[in-house]
Amino acid sequence: MTRSRHAILGLALPLTAVLVFAVLLTFSMLRMFEMQNAMRVGAEQNMLWVLHQSEVAALRMIETAALAELGEADQDDLALRLDILASRVALLNDGPQRRFVERIGMEDDLDRLQATLASVKTIIDDFTQGDGPRLHNTLDPFSRIFGRAANKAMIAEWDDMGGRLEASRGQLHQIIASLIGIMIAGGTLAVMLVMALRESRQRNRMLLRERDFSGLLISSSGEGILAVNREIKCTVWNDAIAGMIGKPAEQVVGRTLSQVAGFFETAPVRIGIEQALAGITSKMAYQPLFAPDRERPLYVDLRFYPMWNDVGIVGAILFMHDASDRHAAKQREAQIRDRLEELVTERTRDLDSALQRERSAADLYRNFAAMVSHQFRTPLAVADSALQRLLRRGPRADPGEVAERAGRARSAIAGLTRLVESTLDAARLDAGQIGARRVNCDMSKIVRTACDRLGDAAPDRHIEVSYPLLGQPITYCDPALAEQVLENLLSNANKYAPPNTSVSVVLRIDDEWLHCEVSNSGPPLSEKDREQIFERNHRGANSVGVAGTGIGLFMARTLARMQGGDVTLQAANEGTTFRISLPRFGEKTT
Amino acid sequence: MWKLMVTGLVLLGAAGVAQAEATILEITGRIAGGDVKLDRAALEALPPAALVTSTVVTDGQHHFTGFLMRDLLNHLDAKGDSVTAVALNDYAVEIPISDFYEYDVIVAFDMDGQPLTRDDKGPLWIVYPRDDHQALQDIRFDYRWVWQLQLLDVQ
Repeated sequence: MTRSRHAILGLALPLTAVLVFAVLLTFSMLRMFEMQNAMRVGAEQNMLWVLHQSEVAALRMIETAALAELGEADQDDLALRLDILASRVALLNDGPQRRFVERIGMEDDLDRLQATLASVKTIIDDFTQGDGPRLHNTLDPFSRIFGRAANKAMIAEWDDMGGRLEASRGQLHQIIASLIGIMIAGGTLAVMLVMALRESRQRNRMLLRERDFSGLLISSSGEGILAVNREIKCTVWNDAIAGMIGKPAEQVVGRTLSQVAGFFETAPVRIGIEQALAGITSKMAYQPLFAPDRERPLYVDLRFYPMWNDVGIVGAILFMHDASDRHAAKQREAQIRDRLEELVTERTRDLDSALQRERSAADLYRNFAAMVSHQFRTPLAVADSALQRLLRRGPRADPGEVAERAGRARSAIAGLTRLVESTLDAARLDAGQIGARRVNCDMSKIVRTACDRLGDAAPDRHIEVSYPLLGQPITYCDPALAEQVLENLLSNANKYAPPNTSVSVVLRIDDEWLHCEVSNSGPPLSEKDREQIFERNHRGANSVGVAGTGIGLFMARTLARMQGGDVTLQAANEGTTFRISLPRFGEKTT
Repeated sequence: MWKLMVTGLVLLGAAGVAQAEATILEITGRIAGGDVKLDRAALEALPPAALVTSTVVTDGQHHFTGFLMRDLLNHLDAKGDSVTAVALNDYAVEIPISDFYEYDVIVAFDMDGQPLTRDDKGPLWIVYPRDDHQALQDIRFDYRWVWQLQLLDVQ
């Protein structure tokens, strides 16, 4: 508030002084011009002298007339004097003189004299000595009237001059007053000028001190500082940056930055300086700075600023901060973080698989009854049918047949027992209570057992089995579970294969996997069924009228996955092919 | 120089013959061959000159014809620094000769085509080119305008 008032006062006062100065100067100059003009006009008036000369001419005329009366002057003398007198009257009748005569109110007298001149001329033309008194009388008014006119002219001119002097005095007074005003305004301006000069000198001193202080700051700063002009030539180069780049100021100042070090040629630095010269401030972190005498680069933080003066951008300034320690710390931090992330990922994976197992186990328990009813029905049916035949045959049965049928029943019961055990084992495995009971086993045996069992349950179904030409179909799995998976798929194939068609089992091996493909002919599955066929309790569109719970394929896949394998549905145009994939070898031990 | 002398003699001769006629200008003082009296014809023999100017005793501008004062002085081989001009009424003014060389000062016989007469400002009137020079618009020049001029005394 006071500051702005001060500023207004500081501006208003000199402006007022200048205004007053100019107005008074103009006023006094106008007054002086007026006076100058008045003086010129006044100098041209000299009526007193004119009238005096006229009076002299009249007196000389009268004198000559008197001489002529005495016979001492002739007619020529009279004519000359008359002409001179006439010329005086003519002069008085000329413009400026006539106007003056009118002003003093004697124009009638002048006109009368003019008229009298004619009668004087007639007397002189035929002059005789006897005409003397007549000529005297006629000439008498001339000197009298001219004398009176001179008297009046004197008074008029003195009045005039007095008036003019008074006016001039008034004007001079005004001019003097203006000059005093001008002096005051000029004095005010001079005082203000001196004050402004003092203030400006003081500011200059302060500015110089500040500049020295800035110079001290720059040179003693731990941060590298350099400045360039618009031609990107170095103007400031402090000790810190000399240490970082490895060149002293004497080698750098005045030279183009690109000649100083390759670092200034790198794209980010070059762009930063160009932007600063265009007025844009920018900063960048951890720029590697290589120096010839250093093994490892410094990592520096850079800040670019434009340098302005009143007119525009005059250059750019670059602050360079050695951030190598911070960079190293950051690198270490990043490494630790990466390691931590790895650990977390690993733990998460472990936890996920544990959770997965937990879920599988829970699912198994939940579906145990369903599984039992489904999986146990076939062996129970086999045992039941064998025992029924034995009963029907009764005593007619020979010992061989009894043994054969009882063996078949026992075999089915043994399968059941295995199934129960392996299910319980699997459940325990899922619960993480026991380790996997995976061993190396020959898949061809498992295939044979499963096929035999299907042959017992469905004697009419023809089963084609093919083994790999090369290599043993050895696999790393739980034989009971593998058999169960295979039985599931065979039983499924048997159920959906049209009558009088065969079911095929093909064993294949590659480097890692053993594949067992179980195929049956018949119409291909719909797209919808293909998607959902492995879901629990799903029954395909073609399962109408076929006994089943919809759990078989779900079970098969779950059991295969428990052993590190999988069951997939193969793409086919005709028939249906499921593939069991099991790892050929155990997990690598390191 | 020779030519000037011849012209001067012719002029003097003419003046001598015209003695019987009315002398209108007499020149005395430092001129070649003593005092000279000139009539109108002798003056009209000088190269004519004209100028247009206002005067302090009349209104408006007037057209004056006559001869240049410096032509007359040159013809008479005048040697002085000043000329005293005397009028019929014995009005006398000393004029520096430099005036006639700095300005085209004429001795006029006619004003606006009418001869100047003795009962007005004639027969001869010294006229300065007042309107052409600011310096001449001054009271110290105005008194040098001698009319009814009858005598020039070269000093």
